[in-house]
Amino acid sequence: MQTTPLWWASDSFWRKMAIWITGGSFIVLIFLTFDTLSYITAGGKQVPGYAVINQRIDYRFDAGKNRYMPVIGPEEPLFGKVLGEAEAEALVAKGKLTTQAKNCMECHTLLGNGAYYAPDLTKAWLDPAWGSKEVREQTMVDFLMNPSDKLHNVVGRRMPRLGITEEEARATVAFLKWMSAIDTNGFPHNFKAMDQSDPVQAPPAAAEPVQPAPPADAVPAPAQQ
Amino acid sequence: MAALGIFDTANLNGGQRLAVKYFTVSLILFGAQILFGMLAGLQYLKPDFLYEVVDFSVNRTLHVNAMVVWLLYGFIGGVYWLLEDEAQHPVVGLWLGNLIFFILTLAVAVVVLVYLIIQVGPGEIESIWFINEGREYIEAPRWADIGIVVSVLVFFFNVAATFAKGRYTGVAGVLVADLLALFGLYLAGMFFTPNVSVDQFWWWWVIHLWVEATWEVLVGCIMAYMLIVTLGVRRKIVETWLYIEVALMFGSGILGLGHHYFWIGTPDYWLAIGGFFSALEPIPLVAMVVHAVFDSGVHKLRNSNHPALAWTIGQAAGNFFGAGVWGFMHTLPQINLYTHGTQWTPSHGHLAFFGAYSTAVIGFFYLAVQKSRGNVWMSGNIVGGWKWKWAMFWLWTGMIGMTVALLIAGYEQSQIERAMEGSTWMGYFAAQAHPWFTQAMNWRQISGWGFTLGYCLLVWDLLTIGKRETRPALAPQGEPATA
Amino acid sequence: MIEPVHLADFFTVFFSAAMVILFGALYALLFAFSRVGQRPGLMPLAYLSYLGLAAAALILARAANLHGPFWTPVVGLMLAGYLAAPHFIFRLCVDTHLVEDADESSLFPTRQGG
Ligand code: HEM
Ligand code: HEM
Ligand SMILES: [Fe+2]
Repeated sequence: MQTTPLWWASDSFWRKMAIWITGGSFIVLIFLTFDTLSYITAGGKQVPGYAVINQRIDYRFDAGKNRYMPVIGPEEPLFGKVLGEAEAEALVAKGKLTTQAKNCMECHTLLGNGAYYAPDLTKAWLDPAWGSKEVREQTMVDFLMNPSDKLHNVVGRRMPRLGITEEEARATVAFLKWMSAIDTNGFPHNFKAMDQSDPVQAPPAAAEPVQPAPPADAVPAPAQQ
Repeated sequence: MAALGIFDTANLNGGQRLAVKYFTVSLILFGAQILFGMLAGLQYLKPDFLYEVVDFSVNRTLHVNAMVVWLLYGFIGGVYWLLEDEAQHPVVGLWLGNLIFFILTLAVAVVVLVYLIIQVGPGEIESIWFINEGREYIEAPRWADIGIVVSVLVFFFNVAATFAKGRYTGVAGVLVADLLALFGLYLAGMFFTPNVSVDQFWWWWVIHLWVEATWEVLVGCIMAYMLIVTLGVRRKIVETWLYIEVALMFGSGILGLGHHYFWIGTPDYWLAIGGFFSALEPIPLVAMVVHAVFDSGVHKLRNSNHPALAWTIGQAAGNFFGAGVWGFMHTLPQINLYTHGTQWTPSHGHLAFFGAYSTAVIGFFYLAVQKSRGNVWMSGNIVGGWKWKWAMFWLWTGMIGMTVALLIAGYEQSQIERAMEGSTWMGYFAAQAHPWFTQAMNWRQISGWGFTLGYCLLVWDLLTIGKRETRPALAPQGEPATA
Repeated sequence: MIEPVHLADFFTVFFSAAMVILFGALYALLFAFSRVGQRPGLMPLAYLSYLGLAAAALILARAANLHGPFWTPVVGLMLAGYLAAPHFIFRLCVDTHLVEDADESSLFPTRQGG
């Protein structure tokens, strides 16, 4: 028979614990949030600036890090036009807005989050299914604008026409290209990107400092589907 | 007080009358959730069904948004249900609460119609303001977001002011703080950014910190009230355990956010944080198990509402399996690399949401029905008692069937699509065409029918249980049956 | 930071992870029953469940490549923490319920305006 509980089993002790633990965790979260935002704002350590869409983007296994990494290559402007950072941002923003207005995320996943009725879009820009890098941009635009007569799979699922205009389609492609350059800690693993190497007779690209050029990449013939 | 067995709002206090309104809409939206889930499921089997009429994305949007709204309505109802009892004071701004109920419900109806009829907009900011925000679970357009925030502030004011004028108990303190956090978090989901990493970073604040922190605690508060009132457990003990629960839930849940920051562009220290807090996650469950056993050994409980108790036990089990077992199976980054965004995720999502939250709200429904009928008998041998049992049986059987089917599909997908094919377009469809996957989709649909049957029985039961009952409710131990 | 699971180990990972939680609950359940009902006979079974838990955790650690300076301690912590948790929680139950029979006014708030 006891009227006051032991201190460590009393309600006042646990009320304080609840407050301190919650407050403490939250402060740690705030601190981590500031740090993380420095990595993920465009131009940060893991998320590229928007003007990256002017360059070739590849995705390869990095033996040192033991995971796949985006690789930023030589200049390869989208739709043949080099954009400044602000123009590029406006284009990607338009594309992102289009993905929200059309609710892409309720069929597809982006960075692996969303719905599971259609393929993941994280590296869609690099998908070998677009054919070759020469036809990719136009194929993507055509597909986005009018996907319903393009049956892409054996299960009979088709993307619907969502009323995407040409301007929106191009912006969406820009958004997808930009997204494929995000360093996602190796997700998706084992992704087999489209071969984007230049034909052998082409003159060597002007600036290629970032490219570690693993030898394995030069061997296979251009992927067809 | 009206005669036993007759549904009469005179049996209820003002807050409870408002709660019944919320519960009614909640139950209807639960039905809408099932309808659109079945349509979406059917489109997996027959992709041309309603193609370009009501596409998968539209059905799915309605499915998950209906879920969020009916559960929130259930929680709001639950809070209004206990408010006057707990505060020992009438709801301060009841007329305002009623007004807001109608405005909010009207807004929900408009949003649903816009999703269904307008569906998509041009790639302009106006679309986000008026049609659809395009972010899973929180698609509600911006105008509705603002409406929700206003409504919720009124709700919050009602709760806080009622407690302040009446008595401010420990349960009240936790509830008020938790509601503030719950609605504060919603604001994190209300801005546009071109940066998809930043977008998803904050999006998870809403989704994860809702379901794995603030919602858990909200349900904990309502359950604490139920324990005190329907089972006669002592307030001081219940409140101490509520604090313990808050400490454990927030201690593991807040930084548990890390398990969503593995692959969205966030730095790799989140792999460690997410992994570490996942390992902590069983601790609150262990606490629950030990404490439940202890309590049932100490108190010889006489229960006055068998369906509510059965759903409460179901809640404990559902939380354990859905969040605990299913969560832990895919939460370590070493395996989540392959399960991320496959059918694994909805397998866990279905079991966890149903197990932890739908069960709790259904339990509140039964409490409300009992009191609305003048506190009738709801213990053993209820007249027509087969209905609640079969409703429960079919809802659970359907849910378990769906969950297991999706688990098998996800297991296949994680290997073929993610690991072997590396998540390309071709790899995705190779996995979708695999017999394990296609058969799983059939079984999901069949189980969905079972679930639908359970829902129909549930509605029927809620409308009729206690109707022909003439016995008054069993009084809980040591307490007159006033609740 | 991590060494992803090998394809051959997927099933092992899912299964052992589920077993960690299930044995954890079983251990807690038996432990609490044994103490509450004063049935010491159940206690060996409780510890047997813990052994199951430990085995599952070690298998999980191997299959999910939980090694290295960060992950090995996490596994150690799991083993120790899960062993201690039911003891700790049970003590807490006992001590929080000491007020039980003394405090008759418990249906009323213990603090006002608080
Ligand atoms: C009642 C509690 C919970 C609910 C209602 C819940 C619900 C959900 C839902 C709906 C998703 C999918 C989100 C999306 O659409 O992308 C999800 C994802 C996830 N949940 Fe939970 N969850 C709960 C608790 C837990 C716990 C305790 C854990 C871990 C131990 C966990 C681990 C995860 C993980 C790792 C994901 C991401 C899956 C992926 O990578 O695709 N969840 N949860
Ligand atoms: C007849 C019953 C149901 C059917 C047929 C059904 C069907 C579906 C379908 C087809 C999806 C889309 C999955 C995908 O993208 O591939 C889905 C998603 C979802 N459903 Fe259901 N559902 C049902 C009941 C429920 C219930 C009762 C709940 C929760 C209380 C629920 C919660 C969810 C959630 C949270 C998601 C999103 C999961 C994620 O993104 O990971 N569903 N459902
Ligand atoms: Fe989570």
